[in-house]
Amino acid sequence: MKKITHRAVSVLLLAALIIAGLVLYTLRYIDDGRDWALSFARANSGSTGELTDRNGRLLASFDAVENRYAEDAATRTACYAVTGDYWGRSGTGALTWFWDDMHSYSLLTGTTHSSSVDLQLTVDASLCRTAYEALGGRKGAVMLMDYRSGEVLCMVSSPSVDPLDNGEPPEGAYLNRCLSSCFTPGSVFKLVTAAAAIETVPNMDDRSFYCEGEYEIAGVPIICSGDHYTQTFEQAMANSCNVAFAQIAVKVGQENMIEHVRAYGFLDRHDLDGIPSAAGSYPLDFIGDPELAWSGIGQSTDLVNPYAMLRFVAAVANGGKLAEPHLIAGRSGPVTRLVDEDTAETLGAMMNYNVVSHYDGGNNFPGLNLCAKTGTAELGDGSSHAWFVGYLLDEQHPYAFVVLVENGGGGLAAAGPVANAVLQKAVQ
Amino acid sequence: MSDVLSGSLILSKSVLILLSVLIIIRCLRSLLSERYEAEVWAYLQLGRDQLPVTHWENLIGRSHSADIHVDRDRVSRVHAVLVRSGKGVWTVYDIFSKGGVWVNRIKISPHGAEVHDGDVINLGGTPLRFHDMTNEKRQKLEERRTVAGKRVSPFGTLLELSVFQIFLLLQHALCTEEHLPMIALGFAALLALEWFCYSSMRLLGRSGFEIETIAFYLSSLGMSVAASSVPEDLIKQILLMIAGVALFLLTGWWLRSLRRITAVRGLAAFAALALLAVNAVFSEEIMGARNWLEFGGYSFQPSEFVKVLYLYVGASTLDRLYRKQNLFVFMAFSAMCVIALALIGDFGTALVFFVCFLVISFLRSGSIATVLLALTGAGMAGVMAVSVRPHIAQRFASWGHVWEDIYGTGYQQARAMSAAAAGGLFGKGAGSGWLKNIVAADTDMVFAVVCEEQGLIIALCMVLAVMALAFFAVRSARYGRSAWYAIAACGAMAMLLTQTALNVFGTMDLLPFTGVTFPFVSRGGSSLLSCWMLMAFLKGSDTRKDASFVVNPVRVLPEDEEEEEAEA
Repeated sequence: MKKITHRAVSVLLLAALIIAGLVLYTLRYIDDGRDWALSFARANSGSTGELTDRNGRLLASFDAVENRYAEDAATRTACYAVTGDYWGRSGTGALTWFWDDMHSYSLLTGTTHSSSVDLQLTVDASLCRTAYEALGGRKGAVMLMDYRSGEVLCMVSSPSVDPLDNGEPPEGAYLNRCLSSCFTPGSVFKLVTAAAAIETVPNMDDRSFYCEGEYEIAGVPIICSGDHYTQTFEQAMANSCNVAFAQIAVKVGQENMIEHVRAYGFLDRHDLDGIPSAAGSYPLDFIGDPELAWSGIGQSTDLVNPYAMLRFVAAVANGGKLAEPHLIAGRSGPVTRLVDEDTAETLGAMMNYNVVSHYDGGNNFPGLNLCAKTGTAELGDGSSHAWFVGYLLDEQHPYAFVVLVENGGGGLAAAGPVANAVLQKAVQ
Repeated sequence: MSDVLSGSLILSKSVLILLSVLIIIRCLRSLLSERYEAEVWAYLQLGRDQLPVTHWENLIGRSHSADIHVDRDRVSRVHAVLVRSGKGVWTVYDIFSKGGVWVNRIKISPHGAEVHDGDVINLGGTPLRFHDMTNEKRQKLEERRTVAGKRVSPFGTLLELSVFQIFLLLQHALCTEEHLPMIALGFAALLALEWFCYSSMRLLGRSGFEIETIAFYLSSLGMSVAASSVPEDLIKQILLMIAGVALFLLTGWWLRSLRRITAVRGLAAFAALALLAVNAVFSEEIMGARNWLEFGGYSFQPSEFVKVLYLYVGASTLDRLYRKQNLFVFMAFSAMCVIALALIGDFGTALVFFVCFLVISFLRSGSIATVLLALTGAGMAGVMAVSVRPHIAQRFASWGHVWEDIYGTGYQQARAMSAAAAGGLFGKGAGSGWLKNIVAADTDMVFAVVCEEQGLIIALCMVLAVMALAFFAVRSARYGRSAWYAIAACGAMAMLLTQTALNVFGTMDLLPFTGVTFPFVSRGGSSLLSCWMLMAFLKGSDTRKDASFVVNPVRVLPEDEEEEEAEA
């Protein structure tokens, strides 16, 4: 008997293995439990906290019974680009990307009903509504941010959808044009070409440019919107003179253009608190002077993502330093230099001159100390995208913005009023 | 959720955790710290020394590990076996000793020789006078032994368990109204059953109730899981539990007589193989394994019953072990069982059998070489099984990678791990989880369901409860009357521990997912029944004074009645 019962200790070997396994599991649980629990956070918690705008207005919540969104359909629709929905139909919505932030997990209590967390965003729902209504059903995108703090106050994409409406949504309603789309920039790209010129071509301020409405480069004509005759660099920008900028682009050269376009972040994928944006494009292979001229005017194969343009403009507004844009309240990011300080100053002065001298700022943008640039990007089919980008010179309201109306026509005529409506509302 | 509701949830959670820990600690203390005094059946007189005979099967020899240690020159290391029959007749066998064995100067035959009070057993020149004990004397000795349950009252533990069950029911009441009457019936049945068992034991004069308490504790968690996942089908779980307890009592009664046990071992072996054969031929394939048998509208898993038969056949008395030293018949039987299970495709159960085989063969032979040989063979067989069976190969492939494919091969485990982590240490409350809705969650991933609804602490208690039974089996083996009970109890625990490990670690991606049930907690008929039957094996090894209904008490009885009482 004794012999057998001594051997019975072998059963304890199994028990020891189980204890070792439990210890290993518990260690992994302590280490990775948070990731595990949040992987199926909605199933695990059975509810979410409230997603609110900067003024505490409800944007979305889920209380284990029903999905709730903003009270009125207009706000729900205008804010859809920001919120997305609980079904994840929009690939860029806060409800999809900020899931982790809307649930708390603790080692002790796991993820339970009571652990859902409210999340406040930096956007202003009523500003979004103003922007969406200003677009008036046209396809387009509006973004506005505080260039000092990096807070994004407005992000609207049109057409949009009411997440509570079960009907057939308009085409492209789930697409956030601010982040996920790229468009031909047209003349707003002259800001980029100008910045590259300031940094690579000596004495830009002393140069003059002559325009007779058309200019040939290697036998290829560059057509301008008018006859601008002799003009300074600043006047050429205000005139948005294609002839002048064709010459400037060629002067800068393709290599320098590529270098600066890349440095300003137009070729990168960015993210907005983790929500990814699309990368733009610029001709990288050798194209020859005529095509280079067109690319400097923002035509050719140039494509710009509105969010990337906003980052550039915001940096220019902030002395060349970009306060990383963010959407979650209180989560400011790093401040990084994107544009040289002197360049930003020069460019800013030119943008201010644009508004004062050419955009009839007093009438079109009453009461606003505005720096801006229009863009009318020709699409080859007779239609054009209307752009209007810029910022306010206003310490109380340091806002940078991008407005794009797809196939909207002239930049100032189509996009300008949208920008004005949003800015007027923003400075109220 | 209102404050009152969440308040009562927090209260019930803390009570449940506290009681869980208390119940396990009490059972562990009772099983492991109570005084075990060996039963004394006779004496052997060596010169002036009185050597107590403490088992029904005793190894005599010069070895220190012999039960009766006789340190004389011409005594072999293992020399003879002294065996007591159920009727109280003692027989001595020579187990291939060098010096030989004589009883009253007559050399004994290979079939052994009976010894009676006053006889002299001579081991190669060393005389030992045998003193049998009268029942009166044994009765006196018995009175001096400590009664089981003296240190830790089983009544108190059972009371705690009852409160635990009531709070578990309350938690369900907070969560559901629709099926509440049925769930209440389930817990009422649990309470009625355990108190019926307890009072029956007391009526029989038995006081050991730790094993049953642990089984009922695990069953409570099982009832909670079933009430959460299939409340509409709970009546089945209730009936199965009653059947399980009935089988436990029946098996226990059967195991009371060693003669009865040994008489039908051959039949049991035949039955085991026949069940497996029927299974292999007639079963239908469900989720890659053909381990289900449809019978009159009810499906059951024959392999669960084969487990019980396998232990029954695999355990052996000491005299048989030493007289027929080979393991070949047992090994052949084991191989047939494991191969049949592999053919059926029940990889998990095959593994459970195999570990049990390793433990039993080591207990029987003490030979590490045999175990290594068996391991090598099984390793090769395992590689073949993996390469032939695509669903097994796939489980091995996804092992350790479940998070890489949470909508494919890692579907179940990723959800199990997530839900388990979401439960935290204290759980979400009975019935409040979602993992139960995943296929086979309440059987194969039941550890995660308990983690989610009751929290990690109770889930760990659940594993500890199974281990407590194993600790007890190992401890009580030393005081067993017969090697059969010791081997059967240890073998049963080897099975249950392996099942527990495969279930828990399979779910949590530390082992490949094998779909094995957690003892008592997993929902499932055949598994529950076999677990209860294995508990009877465990009760058979509990020789504390008046502890177990499976062990005959030492009473003043006419010589022959002991056996008759067992038969009655």
